Amino acid sequence: MHAVGALETGICKYILISYGHSARSGGGMSQVLSRMAGDDAVFGHFGAAAGYALAARRAMHEYNTGPDTWKHIAVGQRKWANLNPRAVMYDRPMTESDYERSPWIVEPFRLADNCLVTDGGRAFILTTAERARDLPHPVVTIMGLGMHNPAADPVAARHLTGPTGARRAGEQAFHMAGITLEDVDACEIYDCFTYTVEITLQDYGFFGPGEGEEWFRGGTIEPGGRTPVNTSGGLLSEAYQMGLTPLTEGVMQLMGRCGDHQLGPATGNIKPEIILCSDNGGILQTHSCCILRRN
Amino acid sequence: MTLKDKYAIVGIGYTPQGTVSDRTTLDFHLEACADAIADVGLKREDIDGLVCYRYFPPAPGEGDVTPYLVAQHLGLEPAYLAQDAN
Amino acid sequence: MYSKPLPTTGLDTKPFWDGCREHTIRIQRCKACGHLRRPPASVCPRCLSRETEWVEMSGRGTVYSYVVYHVAYDPSFKEDLPYVVALVTLEEGPRILTNIVECDPAAVHCDMAVEAIWKDMTDTVSLPLFRPVS
Repeated sequence: MHAVGALETGICKYILISYGHSARSGGGMSQVLSRMAGDDAVFGHFGAAAGYALAARRAMHEYNTGPDTWKHIAVGQRKWANLNPRAVMYDRPMTESDYERSPWIVEPFRLADNCLVTDGGRAFILTTAERARDLPHPVVTIMGLGMHNPAADPVAARHLTGPTGARRAGEQAFHMAGITLEDVDACEIYDCFTYTVEITLQDYGFFGPGEGEEWFRGGTIEPGGRTPVNTSGGLLSEAYQMGLTPLTEGVMQLMGRCGDHQLGPATGNIKPEIILCSDNGGILQTHSCCILRRN
Repeated sequence: MTLKDKYAIVGIGYTPQGTVSDRTTLDFHLEACADAIADVGLKREDIDGLVCYRYFPPAPGEGDVTPYLVAQHLGLEPAYLAQDAN
Repeated sequence: MYSKPLPTTGLDTKPFWDGCREHTIRIQRCKACGHLRRPPASVCPRCLSRETEWVEMSGRGTVYSYVVYHVAYDPSFKEDLPYVVALVTLEEGPRILTNIVECDPAAVHCDMAVEAIWKDMTDTVSLPLFRPVS
């Protein structure tokens, strides 16, 4: 969003957006978690997984959700990762019973509900669609953008079980794009935890509160499914590159550069023209939505 | 005037990922950026904006990775420099 | 020797922790609009007034949400596994992050009635923990 603004002013032609983190080997993620904890550490409360788990537990109390919903997300995304040699979990299939045997980390989250902690980096370059036509790859434009940041932390938040920032960010992005959910060919959703995928798609309007289990059931998001989600494996099964894991995968899919996990006849899906991407930060405290289109 | 379809993502940069024990946070930024520039066939001098994505503190023993540090090591003097691209 | 993390007691949070030392839960109340707010800060998020007082809560509330830790992110909590971290909605309205104790983790549930008990961790630090109302 900032980058679009900088281009719009005319002071920039090509903007580079970059992410990198030595999160795993260097111990960067433990730095993140301990700094997030603050005085909550006094009670043994640390960081992101437990914060999202608090949101997820309350959601389980308010409507039908829980591991029976989330297993479809974890297993479905793993099937995509098994088609993507770049994915950390490329060689590691996961069945529903594997999910159910996965150890509790912070209940109600199992290990399989958590994203990977990985070393690595990701970057992309943004410019005008006009300039893009003279560059080597198929042109992938930003069709819609939206942001909403219900910034309160879990102690003060009223949005943990939805609507999260995804609701208004999604409305803005769809309004700008002039399309509806039915026009979306695939989704690349920021998936720090399985529940994040559910609440994000729910707030975008794919299903109502408590209807996720039925919506996900039957391979909806898997290769060949009617709404493919996180086709690289996502943060859960490819690698943690923050919001750039979903966004760059959306671009690569629309460019047609995804090899064995390329949406199309080989995966039993249509060749995508429009992909919906999301990112969120904090404990559901920030949200951005970006709709991409192949031109 | 709408911004719909006015801007395009034109290149992607990757690095090795997973367990990569001999690299720093800064190194991952630099390699991803260099790879993205190569992917789109631009020259380094064409890049006139740099945004480092949402901030995480780097690993113990590593210096803070700021957008100007990344720009410096890429040899960039961008017009626009910022943290956070949400 | 107490090995677990201690509160940082910055300027904003010191009155809360001072209250805990005296076994009372103190929360900020906006003198202008009456809004009870937590976490503490100098300005009311509802009306932006800086006029603030600290008031005592009853110590009763209900579990808004909870999680059960099965992994010790800090080794000093290993001996407590599995332990419960909860958001408790105090009967006056604001929420507080705490532990649920004196209860089987499997028996904790959302909206369960709980009350504060005090655990003196050091000479100067006491923690408000919660247990089911008997």
